[in-house]
Amino acid sequence: MLEIRNLHKKYGRFNAVNDLNLSIKEGEIFGFVGPNGAGKSTTMKIICGLLPATSGEVSVDGVDALRHNNKIKEKIGYMPDFFGVYDDLKVDEYLDFYASIYKIKEANKRKTISDLLELVDLGHKRDAYVDNLSRGMKQRLCLARSLIHNPRLLILDEPASGLDPRARVEMKAILKNLKDMGKTILISSHILSELAEMCTSIGVIDNGKIVISGTVSEIMQQIYSKKLIKIKVNDKLEEAVLILKEFPFIEKITTGENLIQAGFDGGDEDMSRVLNALVTRAIPVATFAQLDGNLEDVFMKVTKGGEER
Amino acid sequence: MIINPVLLKEIKVKMRSWKAVGIIGGYLFVLAAVALFITYANSVDMYSSTINPQFSIGAYTGIAVIQFILILFIAPALTAGAVAGERERQTLDLLLCTNLAPRSIVIGKLLASMSHILILIIASVPMFSIVFLYGGISIVEISQLFGFYIVTAIMAGSIGIFFSTYVKRTIAATVLTYALGIFMCFGTIFIAVFYLRIFYNFDYQNYFPLFYINPLAGFSSLLTEQFGGQYGGILNMIPGLYMVNNGATKGMAPWLINTYVNIAISVIMLFLAAMKINPVRGSLFSFLKKR
Ligand SMILES: Nc1ncnc2c1ncn2[C@@H]1O[C@H](COP(=O)(O)OP(=O)(O)O)[C@@H](O)[C@H]1O
Ligand SMILES: [Mg+2]
Repeated sequence: MLEIRNLHKKYGRFNAVNDLNLSIKEGEIFGFVGPNGAGKSTTMKIICGLLPATSGEVSVDGVDALRHNNKIKEKIGYMPDFFGVYDDLKVDEYLDFYASIYKIKEANKRKTISDLLELVDLGHKRDAYVDNLSRGMKQRLCLARSLIHNPRLLILDEPASGLDPRARVEMKAILKNLKDMGKTILISSHILSELAEMCTSIGVIDNGKIVISGTVSEIMQQIYSKKLIKIKVNDKLEEAVLILKEFPFIEKITTGENLIQAGFDGGDEDMSRVLNALVTRAIPVATFAQLDGNLEDVFMKVTKGGEER
Repeated sequence: MIINPVLLKEIKVKMRSWKAVGIIGGYLFVLAAVALFITYANSVDMYSSTINPQFSIGAYTGIAVIQFILILFIAPALTAGAVAGERERQTLDLLLCTNLAPRSIVIGKLLASMSHILILIIASVPMFSIVFLYGGISIVEISQLFGFYIVTAIMAGSIGIFFSTYVKRTIAATVLTYALGIFMCFGTIFIAVFYLRIFYNFDYQNYFPLFYINPLAGFSSLLTEQFGGQYGGILNMIPGLYMVNNGATKGMAPWLINTYVNIAISVIMLFLAAMKINPVRGSLFSFLKKR
């Protein structure tokens, strides 16, 4: 659906996007994660034809987006990170305006707008002036606007940024709906955990480059070739550590208060052997768990922030 | 044909606001005040049934001049913020990412402002019809006048749109538009005076070419042609501002050439504006191809 090859964007001498490659298949929800200034918005604007690329190729649904950007605009729904609204329009007039831009027939317009307002939960605000909506509502309205021409590819630039937790949850629910509707979505954020649960794939971008990309579980494996286990004991911490050290597949043991963390490079049977050993030697084990690597840790590890840790 | 959606939206919004009512009201007030002043100045009995062409030509000229000046003032103000305002409000990208062609955005913005001017002109029709009733003015003259108004407004509006796309802030675009307007209206006169004095010593028997971009010159030429030289007197002190009746110009009347030049300026300005707001504009050639 979306294919980016060797994309470069220079602002003067500064490389905002530096040889970026990306591929998103139909129906995928691709999380575009990176710290502020990584080049997410720049990349998205280039895809939408709002910014010229310095070099590289972008194709949307098989169409060369850089050369024929008027042909791909129908296919893309874009929601910018920062946007404004017309202060003197009502909610349904606002959507009506964009609907008429896309030449949606008068007969279908009413229904399309109603359906969209329903989808973003703004049905009750139809007659309110756009300017009087809360930030979260404006954000949802802008999302509805980006959907008005029923695009197959959605490009959402930090749709949850600046929202309070409640509004974030609402936004997430809507995105889940869109996912079920079969839209292909490219969504960005500078917070990885925000995207992890809802995305099928993730690409981490830093300094204009994709550092790592793949399905969520692929990324986890790539970063943690070994699993992590976490053991909480009520007592006898040192004794437990000694026992653990007897196993060759356990390494890098770290301890906290009544807490042990260790790298673990074995199968499920090995895991039960460890637990068995601890229990038979009367260690009061409170919890024994395998950790899914923390996504934020992954993020920090692959972007610059991780190097300092 | 589908009506330009930008135009449609702007009209809806503008006509709803009190600002529009205020502008039309204020505008009519100024025109009416001028008409009354002329009436008293001519000490004409408005209720007498005698036909008085002298009065009607005076009133016509007065209203026409004031209205022209008002239009020259208002047209740039309406358009200078058209695109820069969208940029400031962060709504421009939302327009540009749709399949709306850049030229549609530019033309929609211009037409929206022009519809405003058109309303002002239409609002003044009753006043002209009173003048009309006194005789001496024909429908042809009023049509020429309104035509010249509209073309001048489009020209001034296009310059506003042009600066609105090339400059980021509305304020800067407005200042630049008026600056260029002042140059066209008065700068050209200064150049004409100095140039003709030095090289021709006032002996220049033609319409100075720079005046083809001067709306005031074109307008004077129009009024002079309509009513003979009687209002050309003071203007003839400006060298190079020769009206059709002076017999110095052959062929087309200067105001008609001004009209064509205005149209050409508008087309060029709008073309450049549309090219500028297209974020991924390629060469001039690729832009032509897209049209
Ligand atoms: N118009 C511009 N001119 C110069 N530099 C810019 C411009 N827009 C963005 N940048 C720079 O490009 C980099 C990438 O920006 P951006 O794509 O907005 O990052 P992100 O969306 O990932 O936070 C940043 O360092 C930013 O300062
Ligand atoms: Mg950004």
